Amino acid sequence: MTRDAGTLDVPLVELVDRLLNRGVVLTGEVTISVAGVDLVYLGLSVVLASVDTIRRAGAEV
Amino acid sequence: MTVLLRAIVAAPDTGVGAELGLGAVVGTRAAALVSPWDVSRVPGEAELLDHHRVIQAVFERVPCLPARFGSVFADDPALRARLLEREDALASQLARLGHRCEVAITCAWRETGAAPVPLASAGSGRAYLERGLERAHAEERRERRAEEIAARLIGELAIEQAFVRHRTCPRPAVAVSMSALVTRDEIDEIGSRLERLGAQLPDVTTVVQGPWAPYTFAVSE
Repeated sequence: MTRDAGTLDVPLVELVDRLLNRGVVLTGEVTISVAGVDLVYLGLSVVLASVDTIRRAGAEV
Repeated sequence: MTVLLRAIVAAPDTGVGAELGLGAVVGTRAAALVSPWDVSRVPGEAELLDHHRVIQAVFERVPCLPARFGSVFADDPALRARLLEREDALASQLARLGHRCEVAITCAWRETGAAPVPLASAGSGRAYLERGLERAHAEERRERRAEEIAARLIGELAIEQAFVRHRTCPRPAVAVSMSALVTRDEIDEIGSRLERLGAQLPDVTTVVQGPWAPYTFAVSE
């Protein structure tokens, strides 16, 4: 059995999930992207990847 | 000027936008609060969290529907045209949800399952298949356990079914991801009950976040 270090990011991922996947949508005319992925294509798996990407980018700065 | 949609408020509450340094596009019954947005800007974690902070600031002052991050409009008239198309539905949602808060309840597994065995060390074909079968059984046990935990949480919340949404095992680290729509005066009591229940669930860590604007319940109809 292994301890999952990902658990530490659970609160952030839960919030990011809501920011990107929930809430009212009035379809805009411009698609913006997070971590290089267009929001229109974002699903939860990509959100996770995006958080990971963001964290890696932060660590490299 | 390109704008990013932040939240929808009732038309009479438009003044909160100026108070928070936001622009406002006003319809007949509802208004959209916006910030200037440079389309060449690549958003990251800071922009996402800033979106949340803006929404929370609005929500602390007036009822609102949070906007999903990422709706950008060429200018105010373009946004106003979209707002007017959906205004009646948005005003109805505001009246139904705008004054309620979302509480996020997450149960994270304390331990993950056994690490996957690399293919190279699989041994005989039979042993490989047996390990695969055992893993599938372990996942089924986890799913059943997550459903039990979700049922206990829902029982403890004791609020209308329509005000609770949940997913079980949405990610490897998470058993249950739940959203509850509550009134502000219910928050303390519900938080205490969830804390007591969390202490009785030895296999998960229970995290309660909020109160947030009603992200999960504000949807496009």
